[in-house]
Amino acid sequence: MEFLNPAALLGLFALPLLLIPYLVRRKPHRMVFSSLLLFLEAGANSSRPLGRLRLPPIFFLQLLLLALLILALSEPVFSVRPTSIAIVLDNSASMQALEDGKTRMAAAAEKAAGIAVELGPGGKIDLYTTTPRLQRIGTAALGTLEAGAAIRSVRANDLGDPPVDYSEALDRLLRERQYQRVYLVTDHPAGAQGAALRVISVGAPKANLALTAFTVRRTSLGSARLEASATARNFSAKDEKIKITIRSDSAVLAGRDVVARADQSVEVNFEGLPERASYQAEIDSRDALALDNRRFAAAPSSRNLRILAVTPQPQAAASLRAVPGVSIDPIAPADYQKTDRSSYSLEIFQFAAPASLPDNPALFILPPGKNFLAEPGAPMGNPQVSNWRESSTLTRYINFSLFRPAYARPLKPQTAGEVIIESPSGPLALGLERNGLRYLVLGFDPLPYLGRENLPMSIFTLNFLDWFSESGALKSQATGEPIALGAVRAGDQIVTPVGEKTPLKIGADYFFDTYRQGIYRRQRGSEVDLYARNLADTAESDLRAPSPIDLQDPTESKAGGSTLFSFWPYLLLGALLLFLVEWFINPRPVARGLRRRQTV
Amino acid sequence: MLAAPFTAEFLTQLETLRLRTRKEFLGSQTGSYSSPRRGTSLEFSDYRRYTPGDDLRYLDWGIYARTDRLYIKVFREEVDLFAYVFIDASASMAFPSLTGKYLPATHVALALAYVILANQDHVKLHLLQNTPRAPVSPFYRGRRRMADCIDFTTAVTPAGPLDLAASLTEHLQRLRRPGKAILISDFLMPAAAYQQGLNLLRGSNLDIVAIQILSRDEVEPRFPNGSLALIDSETQREVRYQWSANARQDYQAKLAHHNLEIRSFCHQSGIHYSLYVTDRDLSDFIFATLPAIGLFK
Repeated sequence: MEFLNPAALLGLFALPLLLIPYLVRRKPHRMVFSSLLLFLEAGANSSRPLGRLRLPPIFFLQLLLLALLILALSEPVFSVRPTSIAIVLDNSASMQALEDGKTRMAAAAEKAAGIAVELGPGGKIDLYTTTPRLQRIGTAALGTLEAGAAIRSVRANDLGDPPVDYSEALDRLLRERQYQRVYLVTDHPAGAQGAALRVISVGAPKANLALTAFTVRRTSLGSARLEASATARNFSAKDEKIKITIRSDSAVLAGRDVVARADQSVEVNFEGLPERASYQAEIDSRDALALDNRRFAAAPSSRNLRILAVTPQPQAAASLRAVPGVSIDPIAPADYQKTDRSSYSLEIFQFAAPASLPDNPALFILPPGKNFLAEPGAPMGNPQVSNWRESSTLTRYINFSLFRPAYARPLKPQTAGEVIIESPSGPLALGLERNGLRYLVLGFDPLPYLGRENLPMSIFTLNFLDWFSESGALKSQATGEPIALGAVRAGDQIVTPVGEKTPLKIGADYFFDTYRQGIYRRQRGSEVDLYARNLADTAESDLRAPSPIDLQDPTESKAGGSTLFSFWPYLLLGALLLFLVEWFINPRPVARGLRRRQTV
Repeated sequence: MLAAPFTAEFLTQLETLRLRTRKEFLGSQTGSYSSPRRGTSLEFSDYRRYTPGDDLRYLDWGIYARTDRLYIKVFREEVDLFAYVFIDASASMAFPSLTGKYLPATHVALALAYVILANQDHVKLHLLQNTPRAPVSPFYRGRRRMADCIDFTTAVTPAGPLDLAASLTEHLQRLRRPGKAILISDFLMPAAAYQQGLNLLRGSNLDIVAIQILSRDEVEPRFPNGSLALIDSETQREVRYQWSANARQDYQAKLAHHNLEIRSFCHQSGIHYSLYVTDRDLSDFIFATLPAIGLFK
C-alpha cells in the first residue's frame, strides 16, 4: 500500500488532541452524598486529584472516525506492478550536490535503478532527462538491465531546471506514450502526487555558498588595465567568511577575504589584473555544491578596436583615429564584398548597408532607404531629443538638452530592436542584438569625431565604441546558451571544458552543446577564440528549500491503464457512516435542547 | 391534632397494634407483656402443690378429682414494657434532605412509639450523634405524650459523623431497665461498625429491632453521567468518580450486598430487621412490612 499524499499522515500526530475536550469535560460535578462507603468499596476511583482517566466508547468511535478521515486524506492506494513506465531523471546542476559523500545524481540513479529492478524482467522502461530539455534517451524502450546501465550513464549538466510545468509535461508524456506510470526522480521535494505520476525525491536541504557573477573588463576603451568583479552569495542562515581568488590556469592573480552575510550577496572588485586568455574566480568552500564555487571569464577583447569603415566619406570616419585604441580602415562601399572582414571588431556603414547582417558588430549611420534594418524618414534639421533609454552604456554622461545633431532622419524600424534615442518624429537610434552580435542604427551622423568641439556627440561616439567593445564580454554567458560561430572554415573545431573536441560543420551558425561550465576554445586555424559559460541559475545554488513539485493525475483514466487502486473514497464513506453512528449515539446539545423545548 | 401522617385514622390503626418481644422482662407495673415471674395473668404457666394460704380460686379441681391431690395453677406475671428507640441523627440522615430521609425515619420511630404509648408502656427516645451528651428523652407513657415525642425528634437537626458503637455505649451507660430496643439508621457504615453497635445492644439484654432507612436517591442515585466529585456528607471526604450506567449498576449491586449482610447478621443475631425506603407509604410499611417480620403481635 502506498500513500499519494503522505504529508496528510502527519495529522495522525494530532489525534491525541481529541483527548482535550474529554479532559476539559472531565471537570467533575461536585455532589454531596450521604456516604461514600459503597463508592470507596467499588474501588474504581481514587481520591487522586485527576483520578484515572476513563474514556467513554464514543471517544474511541470519534478517534476511529478521525483516523479514517486522515487516512482518506493521505490517499492510500494499492499498487499493482506496472509493465511500462517512464523514468525522468532530473540532471540539472543541483543534482551534483553531495549527499553523504555521493552526489544526488548518484542517489537518484540508485533509486531509478531500483524502480527498474522492481519492474521485473518483462518491464519496458523509457528513460528521460530534464536538461537541457525533457528528452528521451535512446529511441527504443529499454529492458531492466539496459535501463540500469543507461541510468548510470546519465550525468548531471551544469544547467538550471528548465522552465517546465512538470505536471503538464509528464501528464502529456503519460497520455501520448501510454505509460502505466511515470516517475520523476529529482532533488525537489514531492508535493501532491498523482496515481500514475510519481515524484521520488533525493537529497535534503543544505546550506551553500556560490559565486553568482564574475566579469573581467577593461577599465575603459583602449585601456590596458583590466578589472574584475565577482559576486558571492551565501545561501545559509549564518555569516560565512570566504576567500575569493582570481586565477588564470594555475597562477593566482588576486585574492580577497570577505564576509558573506547570511542570505546576502557580497561583491568584490579586483583591479590591475594582468592580461590573460581566460580567468577563473573561485571560493575556497567545501560546501555541498562544488560547481558554483567557480566561475570563468574569457579575456575582454583586444584593447585595440579595429574598425572597418564602409563609407563614401573616409575623412569623417578617419577622425575616429583620435580616440585612443581605435584603428580604422575606411573602404568604399563597392569594396566591401572583396574585403576580408574577419579581423575587424566593428564595421561602420556610413550612408551604406550590406545585403545581410555582417558577421561582426556593426554601426549603421543613416542607412539608405529600403534596407532590412530601418528605413530613414523625412530629413529634419536640429532635431530635438524627446526621450532616451536610461541606464544604458549608449546614453550615459550625455546632456541631451545639448545633444543637437545638425541633420537627422527618423528611423522606421524594419526589425525588432530597442529604441535608444527618440525624437518627436521617431527613433533616432536603434539597438539590436542578433546571434550574439550587437548592431546599432543611427538616424543621424556622429562623424566626424570632433572631440571637445562637440562634447555631447563625442561622448555619444565614445559610448557606442564602448558598447561595441563590451560585446566581447558577451563571450561570458550562461551554460546552455549557444556560441555564435560566424563564418566556419574547414578544420575549425571547438574544445569543450572537459577536453572534448568537436569539429565544426561548414555553414553551422551555432555551437549548442554548452552544457558544461568552463572555457570553450574555438580553434580557427592558428587563432583561438575563448568563450566562457557559467551556471546562471541561482535557484540551483540555493539548496535550502527547493520548490516542491506537484503532480496531479487529471488524465489518469485516459492513461494506458492505472496500476493503482485508490480506496480512499471507501475510507471517506466509512468515516461518514461512523459520523452518522456517532451522531445518533451522542446527540449534540443543540438537538437535546430542541427536544427539551418541544417537550415543554 | 397532630400533623400528617399522624392523622386520627392512622393513630387509631396504630392503637390496634402491640409490640411483640422475644424476651421476657421485669416490668414495673402490671402490663401486657410476659414476665419471667409468676403472676396473675390469664396465661397459664405451671402447676405447684397447694400450700396453706394459697388462693383457693387457683386450685385445679380436675387434677384433684383424678389424683385426690391439691395443685395450684400458676400464671405468668404480665408487666409493662420499656422500649428504647434509637434514631440515627448523623449528617447522612439529612440526605438528600431532612424531609427526604430524617423525617421519614422519625415518622417510623414515632409510629412505633405511639404503638407503645397507646399500650400504656414506656418509651424513651435516643438520638445518636457523636456529641458528648447526645439528646435523650425521658420515659414517656400514655397517648398524650405523643406530642412530646414529636417535639423531641423534631428539635434536633442531623449533623456530623456517627460512631455507632461509641454513641450507643454512651446511651447504654444511662440505661437501667432491659426492654425493647429499636434502632433506626441508614446503616451506611462498615459492617464492623454496625455489628459492633448491634452487639452492644445484644449485650445489654435488649430485644432488638433494626430498621434501615434509605432514601430513593441512595437506592437509585441520579447523578449525571460523567466525572463526579462526590463529597461524603459526614466526613466531607471527596472522591472522584466516573458515573455511568455501568457504575450505577455496580453501586446498586454493592448496596444490595451491603443490605444483605445487615439482614444476614440480624437474622443470625435474633434481631428483627427491615428496610424502609422513604418514598414508600408509611402506613404500608407499618401495617404490612413490620407485622410480617414479627414485630407486632
